[in-house]
Amino acid sequence: MDKTPEDNDYLDRTSDLKSIGKTNENPSFLEHRGNRKNFLTILNFFLLAIGGLLIISPLWWMVSTSLKTMAEVMSFPPSFWPENWLFSNYIRTWEAAPFTRYTINTLTITTLVVIGNVLSNSFIAYGFAKIPFKGKNILFAIVLATMMIPGFVTLIPQYVLFAKLNWINTYYPLFVPAFFGSAFNIFLLRQFYMTIPTELIEAAKIEGANHFYIWWKIGLPLTKPAIATVAIFSFNGAWNDFLGPLLYLNDENLYTLQIGLQVFKGQLSTQWNYLMAGSLIVLLPVILLFFFFQKYFIQGINLQSGGK
Amino acid sequence: MKKTHSFILVLTALVLFLSGCAGFQTSNNSNSTNNNENNNTEENSEGKTVIDFWTFWGSEIRRPIIEKIIADFNESQDEIEVKHTFLPFGDIWTKELASIAAGDPPDVVINDINATALRGQKKQAMNLSQFLEQDDISNRFYPELWDATLYEGDSYGIPFNTDTRVLFYNKDAFEEAGLDPEQPPTTWAELEEYAAKLDKKSGNDYERIGFYPLWGIGYDVWLLNANGQNYFDKENNVQIDTAKNEEVLNWLKTWKDRYGDKVVNSYQAQIDSQQGHPFFSGDLAMIAQAPTFYTQIRDYAEDLNFGVVELPEYEEGNGHTSWGGGFVAEIPEGSKNAEEAWEFIKYLTDVEAQTYWAVQNFDNVANVEAAEAASQSSEFTEDGSMVYQKAVENMEQTLLTPIPVVAPDFSSLINPNVDQFFLGSMTAKEALEKSQKDVENLIKKNQ
Repeated sequence: MDKTPEDNDYLDRTSDLKSIGKTNENPSFLEHRGNRKNFLTILNFFLLAIGGLLIISPLWWMVSTSLKTMAEVMSFPPSFWPENWLFSNYIRTWEAAPFTRYTINTLTITTLVVIGNVLSNSFIAYGFAKIPFKGKNILFAIVLATMMIPGFVTLIPQYVLFAKLNWINTYYPLFVPAFFGSAFNIFLLRQFYMTIPTELIEAAKIEGANHFYIWWKIGLPLTKPAIATVAIFSFNGAWNDFLGPLLYLNDENLYTLQIGLQVFKGQLSTQWNYLMAGSLIVLLPVILLFFFFQKYFIQGINLQSGGK
Repeated sequence: MKKTHSFILVLTALVLFLSGCAGFQTSNNSNSTNNNENNNTEENSEGKTVIDFWTFWGSEIRRPIIEKIIADFNESQDEIEVKHTFLPFGDIWTKELASIAAGDPPDVVINDINATALRGQKKQAMNLSQFLEQDDISNRFYPELWDATLYEGDSYGIPFNTDTRVLFYNKDAFEEAGLDPEQPPTTWAELEEYAAKLDKKSGNDYERIGFYPLWGIGYDVWLLNANGQNYFDKENNVQIDTAKNEEVLNWLKTWKDRYGDKVVNSYQAQIDSQQGHPFFSGDLAMIAQAPTFYTQIRDYAEDLNFGVVELPEYEEGNGHTSWGGGFVAEIPEGSKNAEEAWEFIKYLTDVEAQTYWAVQNFDNVANVEAAEAASQSSEFTEDGSMVYQKAVENMEQTLLTPIPVVAPDFSSLINPNVDQFFLGSMTAKEALEKSQKDVENLIKKNQ
């Protein structure tokens, strides 16, 4: 919330964040502007603060619920501040199911999925962008066409396939597909590769490098922002995946956090306080990720909407 | 170039290591990895047959209860061991379906009773006649429940638990409004009259609402209550577009008009969210609910002075018909341990396990003898006993609404029309006529 409105147009700037930091540190920056400008700045700030509070209120509701007793959650009208701040809810939540194990499981799957997605998609996209070959456009169209198939249609056939491979109740169905690329990520990275001048690739070729080497040495470093986007989105996807682990894992020791959270949701009633405490813990890495890689998140969204 | 190669080596090593971890965990923790090629039945180290039992009972309350029942069974057995797996409610059946399609389902699954015939027809659940011929246990259960498990005369699931709908009312509010707390409403007319007396307004706001029929239960329960039967008769004739149904819908609408959309919606949101319940705080004087609603009163509003009674009847002599659902234990088609699964299901639905489940969970069970034993249980408090006995009594007038195999998902055809009616863009007659036609078409298509 410590941003000035000037920060908002940093999205449009191509310059890096450092220059914005500099402008803010400079006290003379506002002086030569009129009072009117000052007033607008304050008004802007005020409106943004209200907007920020509104947006953060559901999150606060989660925090508040997670600290209440169930009796207080059920009280009517609902209370905004918890009567007693029951931090012990978090401990009870963690102990209600083997959450430590679930965290390790989720991390294992997520790490593999991120590695798989980054490597495979970048490699495939490089091929589509920079290597001329016969039927490339048709092949690319087919890849894109796979985006049109809704996941639910392929659910059962895919399950049957993995069952035939004897992969049920293992992590293979959850991360191996990541090593074979996904249409959206390929598309995203291909668009990015297109912006790299072909001359650069050709120069490297003349120097004697093969495509694999060029991809690794030139392609990967130059597409870092797009790769970060792919990594973040696949982290999010794998971390929040519910249906995949649910379908393919039978052994409760292999369960992930998202399945673990479901123990608080019964057929008739829900233990909201524990569910919210658990959800907050599970949400934490995603929030941290967002804070640290905010730039890439926004770039990713720009890439997405720009691509479409 | 050297660097690239070493990179690939490291990467391969990493992937192998991590996937090794995944594989290792699997083989270490269970031997349930399926073997489609060699149809070995699973055995544990003691040579017992392991059967996979899937439920959605994972909460702090329910899990220990079902696991105690399983432990008791395992102890009583030297040939079978039941392994319990918790899966989230709702999604459990998606997973069951996928595993049946892949030919490697679990051995026992808890599933919705009302769609049992459909699963029988679609060959998802196993025909249990082969076992029932040996030992017929059908007379353990309420006939209404047993009938719901039949498809073409054969049973495809054994009833486990059930429920009903009753009216909870606030005795203190009754007294305050000058009503006799021991004389709750018995007819729809009385319900209206009492609700009006129980309403308490200050200015334009309600301090207390007497009753609203669609909080807690759906319009279809009221239709069932008035008609004393479901939409379908034995020959699958549809009876939706009737004068009585039209009258019932219009009656329900009068309540909505009386309290106004704003009040109805804000309370509805509160009740649906399961956070904060106006009945607990005395802001709502009466509500129709399943008997298990009592456990929430017990836990979140212990001082509430309440009573419980059967649903009021349409008019005197019409009958207090109520609605119920429930769950069955079924053996999915393709289970490799069906005989052992049957042994376990027999135990699960027998008096001992059912009584334990009923008392510990405060849940209606399918086994009649167990239900009656539970209602005499000394473990309940006075209030608990009162509600449980009413629940068991009410089973006699409780109907299930099994989904006809020729009309799968029929309610998704009726609901939008009824919604239109409540929103005011259709008359009751139009909504019912359209529903009647849509459902008839569905049946024609499936016959």
